[in-house]
Amino acid sequence: MKNYVIKRIGHSAIILLGISFITFLLLYILPADPVRQIAGRSATPETIANIRRELGLDQPLLAQYWHYISQLAQGDLGRSYLQKTEVTLLIQSRLTPTLILMISAIFLELLFGLTAGIFASVKRGKNADKSIMIASFIGVSSPQFIVAILVLYIFAVKLHWFPIGGYGTFHNLVLPAMTLGILGSGWYSRVMRSSMLDVLRNDYIRTARAKGASEGRVIFIHAFRNAILPIVAMIGIDIGVFMGGVVVVESVFGWPGIGQLAWQAIQRVDIPIIMGVTLVSAIAIVIGNLIADLITPFVDPRIRIRQ
Amino acid sequence: MNSHPFLSVSDVTKTFQENSGKNKIKAVDGVSFNLDQGETLGIVGETGSGKSTLGRLILNLLEPTSGTVTFNSKNLSSLSTKEMRTSRREMQMIFQDPFSSLDPRMTVGDLIREPLDIHKIKSKQDRHELVQSTAKSVGLPANSLDRYPHEFSGGQRQRIAIARAIITNPKLIVADEPVSALDVSIQSQILNLLLELQRKLELTYIFISHDLSVVQHIADKIMVLYLGKVVEFGTNFEIFNNPHHPYTKALISAVPKINPHDRTDRIVLLGDIPSTTSKPPGCHFNPRCHLAMDMCRVVEPALLAIKSDPGHQVSCHLFVDESFTQ
Amino acid sequence: MSTLKRLIKRKVVIFSVAIIGIIVSSAIFAPLIAPFAPETQFREGLTLEGSPLGPNSKFILGTDLLGRDLLSRLIYGARTSLLIGLLANGVAVLIGTFFGIIAGFLRGRIGSAIMRFTDLMMAFPALLLAITLSAIFSPSLFIVALVIAMVNWVQIARVVYTQTLSISEKEFIEASRSLGATNTRILRCHILPHLAPFILVWSTLGISTTVLLEATLSYLGIGVRPPTPSWGNIIFENQTYFQTAPWLVFLPGLAIVMFALSFNFLGDALRDELDPTQRGREN
Repeated sequence: MKNYVIKRIGHSAIILLGISFITFLLLYILPADPVRQIAGRSATPETIANIRRELGLDQPLLAQYWHYISQLAQGDLGRSYLQKTEVTLLIQSRLTPTLILMISAIFLELLFGLTAGIFASVKRGKNADKSIMIASFIGVSSPQFIVAILVLYIFAVKLHWFPIGGYGTFHNLVLPAMTLGILGSGWYSRVMRSSMLDVLRNDYIRTARAKGASEGRVIFIHAFRNAILPIVAMIGIDIGVFMGGVVVVESVFGWPGIGQLAWQAIQRVDIPIIMGVTLVSAIAIVIGNLIADLITPFVDPRIRIRQ
Repeated sequence: MNSHPFLSVSDVTKTFQENSGKNKIKAVDGVSFNLDQGETLGIVGETGSGKSTLGRLILNLLEPTSGTVTFNSKNLSSLSTKEMRTSRREMQMIFQDPFSSLDPRMTVGDLIREPLDIHKIKSKQDRHELVQSTAKSVGLPANSLDRYPHEFSGGQRQRIAIARAIITNPKLIVADEPVSALDVSIQSQILNLLLELQRKLELTYIFISHDLSVVQHIADKIMVLYLGKVVEFGTNFEIFNNPHHPYTKALISAVPKINPHDRTDRIVLLGDIPSTTSKPPGCHFNPRCHLAMDMCRVVEPALLAIKSDPGHQVSCHLFVDESFTQ
Repeated sequence: MSTLKRLIKRKVVIFSVAIIGIIVSSAIFAPLIAPFAPETQFREGLTLEGSPLGPNSKFILGTDLLGRDLLSRLIYGARTSLLIGLLANGVAVLIGTFFGIIAGFLRGRIGSAIMRFTDLMMAFPALLLAITLSAIFSPSLFIVALVIAMVNWVQIARVVYTQTLSISEKEFIEASRSLGATNTRILRCHILPHLAPFILVWSTLGISTTVLLEATLSYLGIGVRPPTPSWGNIIFENQTYFQTAPWLVFLPGLAIVMFALSFNFLGDALRDELDPTQRGREN
């Protein structure tokens, strides 16, 4: 068991290192010359050379990478070209809203998704099942920005139930979280449904029923506990999916998280910020997957014993 | 005995490494035997005996860790890839599971023709004729060639596998448990087919099985393996009528006999087959042997011929006095 | 093929193929179907204040913020989205299959190196990676397609890897080897035919992913750049009018959703039919 934990942590560490290298490479091969951007139009060749030396851009690749890594280790993600502030500070200031959104979104996804999945599995084959599955399908096929705009239009613009974006109160959180929650629940409901169907097929369910257990007990205590196993691993992946969509949702709803930061940076082609957000997201994904992998043996005794 | 036997296996050993070197598994340990053309050798053993590995070593599907396999005066390990590939025309394998050894996406015709395609035998038009006649000779119905393996029963699929094996006119066929996956009533059909083909095509068989009753039916010589080592070797008659090794005796006693007067008490072996990673010291069989002596726990017995019949070899301390070194 | 017959019987497949048919025809016959050229700005296409017109007799679906006919732009947008979808997906499938087969068949150090690399790439959220790449490389239709391909090949590689691994271990592969087959022959005659259904399924599903990604990138302003119409960038351009002329956002949005949905339905149906482990499970 300990071996497994060490292996997984080691694996994640290597991936993090790899991520940093790729991020660095992307920065390195930029055609846009950051030096000119910082120096301005009328800089003399001397000034440019000076800035280049200052930024360490005249050194060989590996030396620059080492410099980059050591900066990273100290939490320095570089400087925004245009805002002249440290990227790390910018990201830090916006991390909390994104985390709030992520946790609420995943909570709602699980709430809707698991309920729908269990319900669909119990009513298998009937219309309820089919409609839930089609709805999940549509959820999975729709791009987030379109649903976000739709939700905003209906509930904020037309119905005035919620404010049109912004941050600060619970009311502001509802629409973006619900959008993500409903869209993301599609994945969970499908997996939960097929997982429940698999479990319900098993002999131990038949045994529980034969012993006279109530249907509710059978479903929630026996079936659910076993069916939920694949879901745990999915949560780790979900963090990744969330990070992927965070730019879009935050910008549509005006949610001041790192996604919106990236959106603004995209408009201005402020590469360090974009890279910083990408890096932070990748780190979040690796950590998310690691946690999912570490929790799974506790939830699934079969995996624990196999280790 | 021939000075140049048809097939000569000499002190072949195969060690597998698991866990990047941490576990060494000696699947086959110093096996030697000679086979003449037209003979059938039955290799008998249970799980972990190494019989399947030995079968693959004989055909050079696996490289021996040490020792040599000489077929038709050629040392198989010394052949180049190209030479080996050409040699494969003469030595074929029939696998145990007729369900998984045939590619489900190929038609029966394609499957039987595949060896011809691989070795570019005959022209493309002539191949079809040969496929048809081979299919007929193994007893497949005429319209089989366009159908898929899953449409056939186990016994018929094994016939397809046999057709694939004989179509290149091989001299040696290694059959790895060819009837173990089949229903008992079908087993004898397939065995009889194999015997008939052997007669017609002058084949040499190596027949691997855990089932002594099947081997009794078909083998000229029998080799009994236990945990990678040969414990007894002899002719069919000798092994069944004059078994020496306690393990051989136990296996034979377990063979169902129809005539109630032939039935003897079953010898029940103690314990389970140990894992190949932790073989008992001394004679590997000692923990389960009811005749084990102190020496058996310490010293590995050598494979020695018994005095009354030099073709009959045993690896057991009980018979050391009776035997002489080869 | 009985699989084809079974597929056709399903209602979702009929629905999906119909939608895909409409979209593909629009894309191919765009110059014949579209009432106007997509990039022509009409002075009469805007109100006196300069806002877009709603649906009327001349412009069936109305105009956009620059007075261009929305219907024509939607039709030509189909062309852009389809082109990018096919190109990006095609490249992704090629690269992914190539690496997946190599990793799965050769295994060993090459195999694990390739798989480690895909692990690495999967740690990056697809959209952010695409954004970064788009920001670095100057935009053009092909660059957008290439960027999407760079992001999407990884998943295909992993699926192909797992499949190749499991197929390579089957006994009929060993049987072919014992007959004397070369690796090339085994790949060509045994492994690829077994991979074909999976590649087909993932290609179909992949088009949906690529189109969604392109739409999102265009919506963010870094995908297909105007004036070339793409459903995503129509939304991008007309966002400010979304309260007064919501159809400018929702019609292209509907098109995107229908497109992705049909490919998803089709791919899912294909997967049900072609994956024997799914057979017997009423989905």
